[in-house]
Amino acid sequence: MNGESIRVLVVDDELGMREGCRKVLAPEGYSVETAADGVAGLELFKDRGDFAIVLVDLNMPLMGGMELIDHLRKLDEDVVIFVITAYAAIDTAVEATRKGAYGYIPKPFTPDELLLPIRQGLERRALTIEARRLREERESRLLEVALERSKSSTIIGCMTDGVLVINRDRQMVLRNAAMTRMMPRCAGLPLSAPMNTLKCPELESLIEETLCTDSGPVIASRELALDKSTYMVNASPVLEPNGLVTGAVVVLRDITALKKLDIAKSMFISMVAHELKSPLAAVVSQLSLILDGTVAGDAQKERHILDRCLLRIDALRTMVSDLLSLTAMETGRFTIKRSALNISEVVSAVLDSYKEKAQDKHITLEMARAPDADKVRVLADRESMMMVFANLVDNAIKYTPDGGQVYLSVECNGVFLKVSVRDTGIGMTAEEKERVFDEFYRVKNEYAVHVPGTGLGLSLVKKLVEMHQGHVSVQSVPGKGSTFCVNLPLTG
Amino acid sequence: MTGNKARILAVDDDVDFLDWVRIVLEAAGHEVVCFSDAENALASITDAPPDLIITDLMMESLDAGFSFARRTKEAGNLCHVPIIIVTAAESRRGFDFRPRTGEDLAAMHVDAFFCKPVDVKALRMKVQELLNRERRATNTGNAT
Repeated sequence: MNGESIRVLVVDDELGMREGCRKVLAPEGYSVETAADGVAGLELFKDRGDFAIVLVDLNMPLMGGMELIDHLRKLDEDVVIFVITAYAAIDTAVEATRKGAYGYIPKPFTPDELLLPIRQGLERRALTIEARRLREERESRLLEVALERSKSSTIIGCMTDGVLVINRDRQMVLRNAAMTRMMPRCAGLPLSAPMNTLKCPELESLIEETLCTDSGPVIASRELALDKSTYMVNASPVLEPNGLVTGAVVVLRDITALKKLDIAKSMFISMVAHELKSPLAAVVSQLSLILDGTVAGDAQKERHILDRCLLRIDALRTMVSDLLSLTAMETGRFTIKRSALNISEVVSAVLDSYKEKAQDKHITLEMARAPDADKVRVLADRESMMMVFANLVDNAIKYTPDGGQVYLSVECNGVFLKVSVRDTGIGMTAEEKERVFDEFYRVKNEYAVHVPGTGLGLSLVKKLVEMHQGHVSVQSVPGKGSTFCVNLPLTG
Repeated sequence: MTGNKARILAVDDDVDFLDWVRIVLEAAGHEVVCFSDAENALASITDAPPDLIITDLMMESLDAGFSFARRTKEAGNLCHVPIIIVTAAESRRGFDFRPRTGEDLAAMHVDAFFCKPVDVKALRMKVQELLNRERRATNTGNAT
């Protein structure tokens, strides 16, 4: 024991007793302070609260020993208090210990009769402090574990994937909120309910696959359709260090949106395949008429067949390149090189390239070019703009019967440049108008069936215009004609 | 139907296919009437039933050919008219339309099913076979 660090307080109204204690204790290395009454003793204790031992007389002026013990206990639960009194009586001793005194030293006492209990008291104090330290340490660890647990359960609870844990006995031992949302049946079931109460055989067989130890632990995956949603279910085994499977963790991820995209993509591919197959079948059928001699000797029929074949093949070629452009746009690989363009000039160039085609059908093809439209510029890709207006002019000519008119106009429209392509063609019904920008949509009526096309041109136009932060709209009256308007934002 | 000459109705939204049918069957001595949509075709045949119908499957809708066939067979005076489906869309969205058995054909209310492109000889033979079958049935019907 390192006596130097141990402080002892002696509270007694007898000077002889105070000094006697000091004489016994100081040589043993204790640092001794004294007080003549309870009040002074308490003051001293409060000022210097690091006393390990307090010796208290019971009968003192101002504040008696019993009262002092009460105060000291409240201030310090570890301090070892001894009662020293000449009025030795068993009942006072019992009351003093009940109040928290450690022991009782009757006066008068020999030096050893004082030192021995003090040493015992100090040992006891050390043990108590150590025990408390251990207890506190354990409690803080428990708190850590509890925090860790609540952290894990919070994380699992917040996961958007459904989590379900099954033990070796096929009972549910954990499930999170997402799981209950995905399988509402879960909600009413207690934990430890057998997994077959979920009434989902696909899920059960997947878990069995994981729990089955014959072929070693397996991670099983499967798509699962529940209600209107599709889930990707992954079940993995919970392994003990010795390799024994003690359960399975099942994670459900909602892949409904991905599934819908996948179906849309498949439908698109099937649609493309059909759009490619029909004209190819037509070309093969037509050519076989020439090859097998069905139309032998009829030069006019042969010529007609070959013309039609060429038209169909040309439409196929356009379709393939439109498809490539569309997919390039969707995958973000379509590059546009923007420069300040005079759109009037672009439209005029497109118009020139369609003059011959219009003449063949005796269609009047004209352009009204507002002077202010020639002064402004649009930040756009020239090739894309050529594609947009070529598609619109081509459509206008194709769907306008012989002798009709196609008018183009370019004008400023606020912060936009507006290009209109108006025709006196077959027009569209409200329903047709609604779908005209859809991929592969084609108007089908008496006139339109004779027009070769892919149903991709206008969806390409819309995408290109929107890539330039523009907008395309259509107005149409069946039998009277259609007007397509493209608005493109002006620079500056 | 006089002699071997039959009146055949062709329905398809592909004008080139209609052209092809006309050339192929006119060369075989038949008369071909063409329509590019099922509604107009149906309206025309109610008054003047053809001897045989050749129709596309997918026109304004996915199964326009099937509903056209069903409506034709359900009309009292047209139930005996043989129907041939000719299509490039024999499968769609993972669903195979091609009939495997005679029962499949009956369920479709059609008598034959061809995929485009069609072999000229095969189509002519099938047309002749169906016309002969119909002629025999009519004769038997008259005899009883």
